[in-house]
Amino acid sequence: MSGGALSYERFYNGRTNEWLLRLGDPRTPPILFVPPLFEELNRTRALIVAVMRRVAAEGNGCWLPDLRGTGESLLAVEEVTWDDWRHDVSAAAGHIAKESGKRPVMASLRGGALIDDGVEAIGWWRFAPATGAALARDLDRASLTGGAEWAGYPASPGLRDALRASIAADVTPLRTVRLETDAGAADHKVAGPALWRRSEPGTSAELAEALADDLIKWSRTCAAS
Amino acid sequence: MALDDATEVEDTLRAVLADVLGLDPARVATFTEATPLFGALPEFDSLAVAGLLTELEERLGILIEDHEVDADMMESFGALLTFARAKALR
Repeated sequence: MSGGALSYERFYNGRTNEWLLRLGDPRTPPILFVPPLFEELNRTRALIVAVMRRVAAEGNGCWLPDLRGTGESLLAVEEVTWDDWRHDVSAAAGHIAKESGKRPVMASLRGGALIDDGVEAIGWWRFAPATGAALARDLDRASLTGGAEWAGYPASPGLRDALRASIAADVTPLRTVRLETDAGAADHKVAGPALWRRSEPGTSAELAEALADDLIKWSRTCAAS
Repeated sequence: MALDDATEVEDTLRAVLADVLGLDPARVATFTEATPLFGALPEFDSLAVAGLLTELEERLGILIEDHEVDADMMESFGALLTFARAKALR
């Protein structure tokens, strides 16, 4: 098994088998990436994989799960509940603990920070976390000028309500990173574009490097304490 | 952190357009008040509207209500600039 290779693994969440993308050696300290929700994931996926590549090259196993109803999942997003997504994250963490023998550092992006707390982790790192209300408002707004409802993600009323009410849980130890154009509180600010707001998917090598550098340092801090 | 300078609002609007729509800042710098935006730029679709409004709110320290949002206020660079200034400089 080659250490730096990309591979796809399966994890069972109690109802369905979903995919996990892995980059890096599974025996090195693990990091579980929790992706942004809905359309923001499409716009940031290239960035996430670029960060994972850099972090994996520095000696971490990096995993990115498909949440139910997203990515390659066979379930339709209409059938998914908020608790399903929270459960997917803990099931993915369980898979990683089995593969690596270690508890992971959680690396959440945007709405991923709303579902990253039900896990036995050694630390949390959140990039540009958003409240569920703000994410729901963006999805509502996308239909104001004639776009598809919820940007083409027909989430159930229950999922929408749960998202609107959701705020990121207090976890510890936590490091929060934001863009320097974002006025919100953060432990560290980085320069780069808000790719999740772009109309087309894109990436930024500078932003990927800045995020990877900070995440590598933070995961070492968590592992040492 | 509302801004108090009309030029600052204009600079911020140009930066947000470049960032959200993924346009070359040199191209955005050539936009005049008459430059058509929504419906004219292929990058400026309904999905981009949400990102644009939220990014403007964050950078200008303003709150945009749903009833204020329509195709007219984003029709041209001038229309969007007038809207942003009215919001940010009050």
